[in-house]
This record gives sequence, C-alpha cells and structure tokens, in this order.
Amino acid sequence: MIEYLLLAPVLTGILCFFTKTRKQVEVVSVTGSIVTLLLGMALVVDVYRHDIIVTWQNALFADAFSAFIVLIVSIVGFVASLYSTGYMGHEFEHNIIDMKRLKMYYVLFHSFMFTMLLVGVTNNLGLWIAIEMTTLVSALLMILYSRKSSVEAAWKYMIICTVGITFALFGTILTYYASVKILGETGEALNWTSLLAVADQFDPTIMKLAFIFILIGYGTKAGLAPMHTWLPDAHSEAPTPVSALLSGVLLNCAMYGIIRFYTIATKSFGTEFGSNLLIVFGLLSIGIAVPFILLQEDYKRLLAYSSVEHMGIVALGIGFGGVFGIFGAILHMFNHAMTKSFMFFGAGNVLLKHETKEIDKVSGVVKSMPVTGTMLIIGGLAITGSPPFSIFISEFTILAAGFSQGHIVASVLFLLFIIMIFAGFFYHISRMTFGTPAAGVKSGDVSRWMLGAMAILIVFVIVFGVYIPPFFNEMIMKVVNVVR
Amino acid sequence: MSELVFGSKMMQLLIALILVSTFMILGSTRLYSCVRAFGIQSFLLAGVAGIVAYSTGKSDIYIVAILTLVIKAAVIPYIFIYIIREIKVKREIALYVNISPSLIIGGVLVVISYYLVRSINIRTELSSFALSASISLVSIGLFIMISRKKAIMQMLGILLMENGLFLGAISLTYGMPLLVELGIFFDVLIGVLIMGILIFRINRTFESIDTDMLKTLIG
Repeated sequence: MIEYLLLAPVLTGILCFFTKTRKQVEVVSVTGSIVTLLLGMALVVDVYRHDIIVTWQNALFADAFSAFIVLIVSIVGFVASLYSTGYMGHEFEHNIIDMKRLKMYYVLFHSFMFTMLLVGVTNNLGLWIAIEMTTLVSALLMILYSRKSSVEAAWKYMIICTVGITFALFGTILTYYASVKILGETGEALNWTSLLAVADQFDPTIMKLAFIFILIGYGTKAGLAPMHTWLPDAHSEAPTPVSALLSGVLLNCAMYGIIRFYTIATKSFGTEFGSNLLIVFGLLSIGIAVPFILLQEDYKRLLAYSSVEHMGIVALGIGFGGVFGIFGAILHMFNHAMTKSFMFFGAGNVLLKHETKEIDKVSGVVKSMPVTGTMLIIGGLAITGSPPFSIFISEFTILAAGFSQGHIVASVLFLLFIIMIFAGFFYHISRMTFGTPAAGVKSGDVSRWMLGAMAILIVFVIVFGVYIPPFFNEMIMKVVNVVR
Repeated sequence: MSELVFGSKMMQLLIALILVSTFMILGSTRLYSCVRAFGIQSFLLAGVAGIVAYSTGKSDIYIVAILTLVIKAAVIPYIFIYIIREIKVKREIALYVNISPSLIIGGVLVVISYYLVRSINIRTELSSFALSASISLVSIGLFIMISRKKAIMQMLGILLMENGLFLGAISLTYGMPLLVELGIFFDVLIGVLIMGILIFRINRTFESIDTDMLKTLIG
C-alpha cells in the first residue's frame, strides 16, 4: 500500500518528463495527482482499520499521525496540481516560461510530492534524509523563473535550511546514541516503532540535548522564529502553486518531525522541559509575525509571515499539552494547510491579473475579479481566526487548553497577538479588495482550473468551522493518542 | 572498546590532522587551497572510518569509509574545482573577517568545544577527544559561512559542518545504521550538485558570486 503511494508521484514525474506538449503534460500531472490522492485516501482508510501498517522490512510504516500527514500532502498536492494547470498555463501562454521549463516544473512538482509523502511514512529517524530532500527539490522549483529575487531567495533558503537540518542531524545522532545503549547496534535502533517502547529508559541529559538540536534544526525548516528568516523570501518568490505547497504542507512536515521527537523525548525527561521550549518558540514566532504583518507591503510576504504565526500556534498548542492542546494543534495543522493554500491561490489570481505583489498598487479586486475578491475576503477572515471558519475552532481549542493548563501569561499574550494580527491582516486585505481597480486592469476572473481548486478548499475552510465530521474527529483523536 | 579504538595513537594523530586541515581552510585566501584542504580532511576522515571498521570488524563501516573516500575526497572536490574553473571566479576569497582574527576565533572555538564536551560529561565509553574535534568542525564551519563573502565558501562551510557531524557520529556510535548513512551521502551529493546549479545561476544573474549582492529581500 505505502509503496504504491510513493510510486505514484515518482511515475507521474517520469511520465511528465517524456511528454511533448502542454496538453499532455497537464493531463499526466492531473491524472497522477488524482491517483496519488486516491492512494492517500486508501492509506488513511487502511490505517483507520489496522492502526499501524509496516512494510519493506520495517523501513516504511504508517500510523495515525503518518496517515494524517499523508492526507494533508495528498489533498493540497491534488488541488495545487489543478491550480498549476491554470497558473503555469497562463505563464506559458504569456511566454514567461517555455515548454522545457513547464515540463521541468511538473517533474519537480511531483518529485516534491514524493519527498513530502516520504517524510510521513519513514519508519526511521532517517526522516532527516527525506526532509533534506524536500529542501533540495523545492530550491530547484524556486529558481524556475530566473529573476534576481528568486535566485537570492533560493540561495538563502538552501543555505539556512541546510545548516538548520545539519543541527537536526546532530540531534538525530544523539538520539541514536541514547537508543543504541538500550537496543544495541541494530538498524532497528532508529525506528519509531522500537524507540517508543523503550524511550523511558533513555538518558535524560542526552535526550534534552538532542531535543534542543532537533527543535532548532527542524524548527528552522518549520519556520519557527528566530530561525524563520528565509521563509518570507522563499514563500513569496516561488511560483504560486509551490508557495501553497511550501506554506501549507512542507511546514507541517517539518513540524511533524518535531512532534515525533517530542513524543519520544518527553518519555525520557518528562513533559515540562520540552513543553516550555515549545511554548517559548511558539510565542516568539507569533509575536515576531505581528510587526511584519502590520507593516507589510507585499501581499505574498504577508501570507508568508502569517505562516510563521500559524506554525507558532501549532508549537504553542503542543507545548500547552493535554488532550485539548494537542487536539487543537493537530487540527490547526490541517486547517492551516487548507486555509493558507486557499489564500495563496487567491493571491496568485491577483498576481496574474494585477502583475504586482505590492499591496498599495492593488485595489478593487472585488470589482475586477468578483469571485476571487469574495474568496479573498472569506479567506482573510478565516486565516485570522474569525468565526465561523475552521481556524477559529482550532485556535479557540488551543487557547482553552492554555488557560485550563494554567499557562495564563502565555495564553493572554497569544490572544493579544492574534487580535493585533487580525487587525493588521484584514486591513491589508480590505485595501486590496475594496475600492476601484487601477486603470488598465481588465475585469473578468482567471481560469476555471484555478477557481475550481479554490472551490475545493473553501469547502474545508467553511465546513470544518461549523461541523467536524465524526470520522475525522476520531482520526484526530487517534493522532492525539499517538502523540501523547 | 570505543575507548580502545579512539585512544590509540594513530587515531589521535588523524583527528589532530583533521583539525589542522580545518585551520588550513581558515587560514587561506585562495579558493584552490581551501578545496584541497577539504579534500585532505575528507581523506583523513575516511582513514578514521577505516580504522574503526578494522578494529570493530564491521563490514558496514568499510562501505562508509570507501564512500567517504570516493564522494567526499574525490567527487566533491572535483565539483568544486569544476565550478571555480567554469565561472572564472577570482581565485582570491573576499573576507568579512581577516585571516589572523579568523585563526584566533577558530582557536577559541576549538577550546570552547573541548570544554563544552567535558561539561556535558557523556560517559567514558565515548572518546571526548573525537567528539570535541567534531563540535569544533561544526562551529568553525558555521564561522566560515558567515565570515566569507563568496557563495562557494558557504557551500564549503556546510560541507565542513557535515564532516564534523560524520566524525561525531562515528565517535559516538560507530556511525549511523547503513541505510541512514547511505541516505546522508545521497543527500550531501545531490545537495552539492544543486548548490552548484544555484551558484551558476547566481553568477549568471548577478555577474558575481559575492553574497553581498543578495541583500534585496528584507522586511
């Protein structure tokens, strides 16, 4: 099962390489992502029934948490491939990229999908390898346009994340050292399934050290402050569908690494040390996003800083702990993935039409593009956590967990920060959406592919705000049980 | 066992030489000598892995030693030289921190690493000498990344850090399981290739590989 899931994007990538025309490459890409989505769903159902699946001599595995990540990757990947058809097609029609680049884009897109799925299903601390691979592939996606700014962003991204991930490797080595003492020198000594059973016997000092390195390392990749400096550049300079994948999915993959280690580490040294670290980093990330969101001039960077904020919220939720805190954090990962990709798609529509990323130069989107404009307003409300949208539910759960676990100061700060972010963010969105469009901007919406992709996502944004389906609720509860 | 292996005179000599090669990178202003020093360092690392393999009799570690020799001591330096030749970069490296302060900072970092490892006090079975050398390598690698202007030196800094971690892993646990080790080699190799592509791209768009140019995206 897992093998097929991994095989699907690889095959799609290879097939894309051998296509000749735009039509062919688009058909292959969309079909491939549908297959990936279906296989992902099948894996989720399988895990739902059997709890844990292990294959390939224990190298690959899936439990509820892996399945959850696979679900996010395959849903956002699917809609991003729909959106790509419209977006990259538009770039192709306007001769911004040629056929060779277009083909390259799809090959890399599906390789990127593969590496992200691999992060979810690796039964090994060698998760590190998969996360480093995501950096390598996505850096190539960023330099698809040879603009000065994209090259600069790609270089910063590559260097900062590689250094970060090197720290994570050191943390991994330390963990292996701790586990070898108990399990002996086998390949098994790095597997989640065997680590979890004996984690309480690990040396707490070493595990503390390891956790700090892991948190800094994967935290760099997850965009936690103060290691987030590459994120706004990379996420704003990448092609829009890739921005959505980077913000919505890749950050979650890195967060997944942190949470996995957190689960093992807390078994060894108790919850207090780890959760305090997560709360500090979480609050710092939310706090640092505030001024940058308030004074932002570029709407793609605005969304990128909002990703820093939301990853901070996830870290905070895990840090608060308890069933509610973790439930909120996991739910928030899902909600943020859907809402943020939705927003990036909206921003992409605006970018195609108005051809500028500056907030000041965009106005009257509701008039020039009625559908996109309306969606941007909904998305803007949703991403800042206003009811009745999905993010409100998860943020509220985390806040409630904070108060009930006695982290009063942290919770009050959290509340203050998100209120300020709400004001700043929505001010920018309303400046863009209302008013009259600049002269020379033709009215009329973008292609149906792009609006269709957004329509799929808006279902999650709205429905999960008022009603969480029982099976989904149960699935998240299973993840919570894995994490605790 | 580990103490025996790492206590041996040969091993201490190799590790000391690895540190010396790091200072060769710190103390040089010529790109070629930096790359050569990196090659020598990787060669010595392969030697360390070879000795560990010999004294533990594990075939896995032999494979790792050979891979280190082939990839890090031969292929990667070759890629570096190819890049330097192709983009006709000036052979001198521009510095933010001059050579003599660089060397002093390097020395301070080594001392700090040594005391750091002693203060963590991981049990005696571990060779604290090798581990402190490993942490020195990581910190000096970081320092090189921030104190040199050329993009190519940042790439070298990352590889230096990776070498340090390799030494750390082999001194702590005789290296990682083979599967993970292979994956790391794969990532390092692909990473170097992609950074090479990026450097070519930087050179083409900015007509220089000084990272001074990469300062437009802020706020």
